[in-house]
Amino acid sequence: MGRKLKFNIFRYNPLDSNSVPHTDTFHLEETDSMTLFIALTRIREEQDPSLQFDFCCRAGICGSCAMVINGRPDLACKTLTKELPTEITLMPLPVFKLIGDLSVDTGTWFRAMNEKVGSWIHTDKTMDPNVEEERMDNSLAEEIYELERCVECGCCVASCGTANMREDFIGAVALNRIARFMLDPRDQRKEREYFEVIGTDEGIFGCMGLLACEDVCPKDLPLQDQLGILRRKMGWSAVKHLFRFG
Amino acid sequence: MAIDTTIYVRSPGVGSALFDWIQMLTGVGLITFMWSHMILVASVNLGAGAMDTLAHFLEATYMAQVGGPLIGATFLLHFILAARKVPFRAEQQSTIWKHARTLHHLDTWLWLIQAGTAMVILIMGSIHMWTVLTDLPITAAKSAARIQGGFWLVFYLILLPMVELHVGIGFYRIGVKWGFIKRSNRKGLKRFENILTGIFILIGLITLIRFMTLPV
Ligand code: HEM
Ligand code: SF4
Ligand code: SF4
Ligand code: FES
Repeated sequence: MGRKLKFNIFRYNPLDSNSVPHTDTFHLEETDSMTLFIALTRIREEQDPSLQFDFCCRAGICGSCAMVINGRPDLACKTLTKELPTEITLMPLPVFKLIGDLSVDTGTWFRAMNEKVGSWIHTDKTMDPNVEEERMDNSLAEEIYELERCVECGCCVASCGTANMREDFIGAVALNRIARFMLDPRDQRKEREYFEVIGTDEGIFGCMGLLACEDVCPKDLPLQDQLGILRRKMGWSAVKHLFRFG
Repeated sequence: MAIDTTIYVRSPGVGSALFDWIQMLTGVGLITFMWSHMILVASVNLGAGAMDTLAHFLEATYMAQVGGPLIGATFLLHFILAARKVPFRAEQQSTIWKHARTLHHLDTWLWLIQAGTAMVILIMGSIHMWTVLTDLPITAAKSAARIQGGFWLVFYLILLPMVELHVGIGFYRIGVKWGFIKRSNRKGLKRFENILTGIFILIGLITLIRFMTLPV
């Protein structure tokens, strides 16, 4: 016999004018290696077909299943129920727009973020498909890849006190993204151009070092180290700028 | 998001960056001051003579008369800059409060403690500085008389842990923000910082007891 699990799940459908935010309680018997994905799917199939939540890859790769699990943002598909107490409270991610129940729209937010930080390689070189690609040092490629692993789940943003208080704060994920392009020798942007995007209180100087992003990131991105590096770089950049232009 | 229509003004603005620098530098200045402050006050544990000699030296070299107001100014500047980060709007306050309560995350709580202690320090620190600097010279006997009066004992019993917590968390946070504390050494340095804060509170308490028993 598995444990008897009790789920408290946030319910609200913004499209239904009769709907009010509340939590519903569901009970399930735990099975072997049950993940929250399995649990939620069973609840939807056996108890309430109207329950809304997002999944896609079920393997911690696509980032669509992030939700607040007993207070902490995490990926539901890679969270095993046996790691949790018998009472499990599930809430949608804050900061992002609610679609319904546990489902939020991270896409619009991430698109805006990617446009804001210019999340692509800025170069005036045109690609010639007939020549061999320029080579990159392997250790540098690995360093870039380490920051590239982000699955855009939004956990870091949802856990960030600053982002919760201030809508205009761009969040650790955006700062990490910029750090990734700063490393990339193919990107021709100058320090000053990066500074324009993140050298403000909406960017790196708004970060208060609460490190919730670092502690919740399900992919273990080195957010803390990148934030420290960026603050120093942008700090020096401002000092240099001051002496250059008076 | 609203379109920024101020782009004709020279860009990029380095305001945020400079404010952040000065916030950090005034923080470091105040930490250094608090450590020196602890040495001066705790010297009373070696005898009233030790503290009087040190205080006399500070006044003879005008370090108290000039340094005191300078610290006051640093204190004010630091407050103005750091207050930009404090949630004063009721809506933000309720957001961060609920956020911290659901997240179960120590570093997020530490920040709330830092912002909370800051408000107490702003008021009590100003009162304390005013009282001491308008009643120079500093002597062990005068301080002891104040503390034995009872009011100042309670006052310091509140202010001491507030300042030490704020300084301790601030020290840790500067390390994190500016990349001195990294993922690899965070745990150890946080522990070190907690122990340091504990030791400072302990020295402060011992010093207060010493003042209580000092013959006036
Ligand atoms: C006037 C009273 C004070 C207020 C209102 C105040 C407020 C604050 C706040 C809100 C922060 C956090 C800022 C952030 O996270 O970005 C902070 C940081 C800090 N405070 Fe204070 N504080 C005061 C007095 C002091 C004093 C007396 C000291 C030292 C003796 C001190 C040392 C620090 C340090 C070292 C930091 C970290 C600086 C940083 O993160 O850049 N503060 N202060
Ligand atoms: S940095 Fe981590 S927590 Fe943030 S979106 Fe990327 S994978 Fe998710
Ligand atoms: S360190 Fe804190 S304030 Fe900075 S991005 Fe991470 S959670 Fe937000
Ligand atoms: S479903 Fe893709 S990360 Fe969870």
